[in-house]
Amino acid sequence: MNPPGSLAGLDPNLDAHLSTQILAPSVHSDNPQERIQARRLRIAARLEARRREALGEYLDGKKESEEDQSKSYKQKEESRLKLAKLLLCGTELVTNIQVAIDIREIHRRVEEEEIKRQRIEKLENEVKTSQDKFDEITSKWEEGKQKRIPQELWEMLNTQQLHCAGLLEDKNKLISELQQELKTKDDQYVKDLKKQSDDICLLLERMEEQVKNVMKTFREELYNIEKAFEVERQELLASNKKKWERALQAHNAKELEYLTNHMKKVEDYEKQLNRQRIWDCEEYNTIKIKLEQDVQILEQQLQQRKAIYQLNQEKLEYNLQVLKKRDEESTVIKSQQKRKINRLHDILNNLRSKYAKQIKQFQEENQSLTLDYKRLVLQFKELQKAMRHFALIDDEKFREIWLMNEEEAKDLIARAFDVDRIIHTHHLGLPWTAPDFWFLKNVGPISQQPQKSATQIVEEMLMHTEEEEAEEAASEPESYLDLPKQISEKTTKKILMLLCDESGFLIESKLLSLLLPLEQNECYLLRLDAIFSALGIESEDDLYKLVNFFLKYRAHRLSSSLQIKSCSQASMEKASMEETSMGSELELAEQTEMEGAKEESLVEGEKEEEEETPPSPWDIHPNDVLKILEAFVMGLKKPRDSRAPPRVQKNMRNNSKDSEYWQALATVIPSSKQNLWDALYTALEKYHIVLTQRAKLLLENSSLEQQNTELQALLQQYLNSKINSELQVPPTQVLRVPTK
Amino acid sequence: MQDTVTTSALLDPSHSSVSTQDKSSTGGHTSSTGPQPSKPSITPVSAKSRNPHPGANFHRMRRIIAEDPEWSLAIVPLLTELCIQHIIKNFQNNPILKQMLPEHQQKVLNHLSPDLPLAVTANLIDNENYWLRCCMQRWPVCHVAHHGGSWKRMFFERHLENLLKHFIPGTTDPAVILDLLPLCRNYVRRVHVDQFLPPVQLPAQLRPGDQSDSGSEGEMEEPTVDHYQLGDLVAGLSHLEELDLVYDVKDCGMNFEWNLFLFTYRDCHSLAAAIKACHTLKIFKLTRSKVDDDKARIIIRSLLDHPVLEELDLSHNLIGDRGARGAAKLLSHSRLRVLNLANNQVRAPGAQSLAHALAHNTNLISLNLRLNCIEDEGGQALAHALQTNKCLTTLHLGGNELSEPTATLLSQVLAINTTLTSINLSCNHIGLDGGKQLLEGMSDNKTLLEFDLRLSDVAQESEYLIGQALHANREAARQRALNPSHFMSTITANGPENSVG
Repeated sequence: MNPPGSLAGLDPNLDAHLSTQILAPSVHSDNPQERIQARRLRIAARLEARRREALGEYLDGKKESEEDQSKSYKQKEESRLKLAKLLLCGTELVTNIQVAIDIREIHRRVEEEEIKRQRIEKLENEVKTSQDKFDEITSKWEEGKQKRIPQELWEMLNTQQLHCAGLLEDKNKLISELQQELKTKDDQYVKDLKKQSDDICLLLERMEEQVKNVMKTFREELYNIEKAFEVERQELLASNKKKWERALQAHNAKELEYLTNHMKKVEDYEKQLNRQRIWDCEEYNTIKIKLEQDVQILEQQLQQRKAIYQLNQEKLEYNLQVLKKRDEESTVIKSQQKRKINRLHDILNNLRSKYAKQIKQFQEENQSLTLDYKRLVLQFKELQKAMRHFALIDDEKFREIWLMNEEEAKDLIARAFDVDRIIHTHHLGLPWTAPDFWFLKNVGPISQQPQKSATQIVEEMLMHTEEEEAEEAASEPESYLDLPKQISEKTTKKILMLLCDESGFLIESKLLSLLLPLEQNECYLLRLDAIFSALGIESEDDLYKLVNFFLKYRAHRLSSSLQIKSCSQASMEKASMEETSMGSELELAEQTEMEGAKEESLVEGEKEEEEETPPSPWDIHPNDVLKILEAFVMGLKKPRDSRAPPRVQKNMRNNSKDSEYWQALATVIPSSKQNLWDALYTALEKYHIVLTQRAKLLLENSSLEQQNTELQALLQQYLNSKINSELQVPPTQVLRVPTK
Repeated sequence: MQDTVTTSALLDPSHSSVSTQDKSSTGGHTSSTGPQPSKPSITPVSAKSRNPHPGANFHRMRRIIAEDPEWSLAIVPLLTELCIQHIIKNFQNNPILKQMLPEHQQKVLNHLSPDLPLAVTANLIDNENYWLRCCMQRWPVCHVAHHGGSWKRMFFERHLENLLKHFIPGTTDPAVILDLLPLCRNYVRRVHVDQFLPPVQLPAQLRPGDQSDSGSEGEMEEPTVDHYQLGDLVAGLSHLEELDLVYDVKDCGMNFEWNLFLFTYRDCHSLAAAIKACHTLKIFKLTRSKVDDDKARIIIRSLLDHPVLEELDLSHNLIGDRGARGAAKLLSHSRLRVLNLANNQVRAPGAQSLAHALAHNTNLISLNLRLNCIEDEGGQALAHALQTNKCLTTLHLGGNELSEPTATLLSQVLAINTTLTSINLSCNHIGLDGGKQLLEGMSDNKTLLEFDLRLSDVAQESEYLIGQALHANREAARQRALNPSHFMSTITANGPENSVG
């Protein structure tokens, strides 16, 4: 029914049907309908144009945003708008007819209603009048019944008939009128029908027109859109082609470049290859030559080897032969040897028997010899006794002589020292210090201090402490104080005590039981004796070595373990506190010794203290004692073996220092001092001369003074005279009085 | 083996003879060598009989041609072809279709005659092509779009329509239609009949000679004018969705009689019962059938609380205010979406009742009251209703004697309402002022797409401006439809331009 519907329809027949009728309406057409159609279309187009103008702004606004859109899009949009307008106008055009018919119908209805109303009115009027007339007639019928006269009745009947006829006529008239109306209505109906058919025709025409139009415009727009697309496509194609060409050109250029590069590279590589090939060839040749040479050498060597091999083979064969022969020979020798062994066995047996005989003989000899030896020993002992006696006597003599001489020398030296002192103090005015030489103090013959045995020293030591306790004279100390050079007596003692306490295992158990009742010191002594004998310590040196060893070990340990020092010191203090209980007596002894030994030289005391403090024997842990002892014994073993022989010479007098001693005594006043004395002597002589001169001058001076006093007295005399006051210028004023 | 044998035979017969001789002399002890010498002569025959697909074995075919150049496969029709021909020929007696391969089915369907009895084809053939041929054969103009794009459906619907059109109660055998029913029940969705023939009057006309006029007329008319009763048919069609009926007679020519155009009470009752029973009906149209208030009410009563009915078209009838009131009641008791009461006799009270129903309705989207006479009172009532209604999109009030007051109210509605897309006020007496007011109302509206004001005494200027506003709205709607996400921005962008226009 509606064009879009029919267009949308897929019916091919209908489409074909419509397409045949496509013809644009023209203003100059013969058909008036078509002319109207054309005009209407024109008006619609104008309206559309005006509308579009009015909407221009709106569309412009849209277009601005769509400018970036493609041409085809614009075309599409344009076409769409145009088509929408066309459809709208077309449907309006088509529906216009319907609307027109509607309004005509409405008008008709209104008219119809009016006419109907009039008709009904008329009918009603008619009904009324006719009713009146009918009533009149019916009333007349009543009247007529009363009439007896036929004429009257006839008249009346006639009139009634007339009335009825009138009534009928009216009715008929009305009917005819209505029929007339009906007829006109029929005519009208027919007309309407015609008109409606016309309208329908028009409607159809318009619809067809619309369809044609729409199709045409759709085609056109489609064509336009296609054209736009085509154009766009062409443009796109052109641009793409350009791009493609550009890309292709670029690609070609690149390809060319690559090709040239490639060619260059190929050439390069070819050159390189050639070079490489040549080089390879050369190398190959050299290698080949070298290898061939090698091969030759190797072949030569092979030949040599082969020769050597054959030679060796021959040699070995020869050797084999030789060895076989030797084997044979050795078997022969073996048998010979066996025979020899048997022979030697016989000899051995003979010799054994001989040996036994000899032993017997020698035993006898030995017995005789031992007897001889015993006799000789007795003789020797006697001789020794005599010798010792003489030695003592010699010593005594020697000593006496020595002492005598020494006394003489010392007197001389004392005189010399006195003179020197006088010279120094009186003549030179210098303080004199008595020269302190070792030999000055020496009394008796110089000798190595007799080597005391260790036990002796210990005894001395112990005794010494006791002596000090008893505050006996300090003459003795010097004898042993000079001996321990670095080690104080106390440390030694302490070390020994420690040793004694720790190495009880060295003492025999019997001895221990014996020691129990003894005094402490003695007990110690005996114990130490036993220990020393066990350790092999015999001399004083050994003892000091031991003590030194202890101290060194101690020092070594200290240096090795400095980090423990602080704590060890702290522990030392504690240990000392602990050990005071053990060695409290010793400490007390020490203290008393300190008090009593004030007479001793300060230097020594200081030394003692200095030495005592750093290597304190208390630092040695009792547990270490055994280790130290072990080490000491190991160290001591070697020297001890060689110590035995010189023991014989022990008592031999050492003369080496005697001359020196006497020389020293002779040159107690050094030559420089003698020179000084000479110089002093000459200077004193000179001084004596000067003094004598001066004595003379003093005498002169005293005489001159006498003269002077005399003169002064004279002068005074003159001055006190009266003349002086009479003088205009007194001489006192001229002379400054020297009295002032 | 065969190839070598044959080629060697062709090239060098002497050698082949030797070989065959050899084989024959030695032959017999193996089965394969035995038949070989004689095979070349046999193969053509066996190929002819055995090979339905010559393309399948290309080598064999080539070899055969080489041997017998005169022979051609085209001469001999394929067995399948023959079978198909046979099936086509005897399809009426022995319809074989489903058992065949698809390509063969296609072939059969392409060659089936469209004149086959429906009893055979109706439930067997679903192919559209066949039904297309059937339709094209019967009717020169076919609008398949009106039948849901299905040719089969179209065929059955139009077939049924033809039968109904030419059914004459009393003379035609009702079995004609009832026989068709089981065949078409699954395919017919729409029944469109624009003519119901009354019973033949001839016997009635013949009879007056025998019987008295007055008595016969009084008795005879009532049963005779009734038309075909749709009850059975409607009940039988399980997929019926649309019923489009016109109780009319076409091409009566000089036989015109008023009796021909009667929609009797019996018709009405039976129709009402039929549509009440049909729960699949969506569209019901009863036009140009002289339905007056009472009949309309009977039909509408039957439609109350119908589960699926969406469209009711009672245009070109004689429905007055009472019928309109009934329709208003129907509005609030159904899911009606489209109501068409065009060209009836609804006046102000009817329109008011409709407006009352419309005020709170949420289903109706289209209301057509063209060519009624609701006048300003009714128009105002409808306008008031539209102020609260949020559903109606299309309203046709053409030719209703409306004037300025209605236009004033409608302009207010236009400013508020956002659902209306189409209003038709043509053929009214809106007047110049009314037009201006409507223009004002239009200036605030963004949704209206169509507004017909032709022949309603509106100034051309305002009509033109309204047209521009509508155009702007249409553009906006198009934009919205194209890209729903941006419609807000487009509206704001178009806002100032619209106000300027």
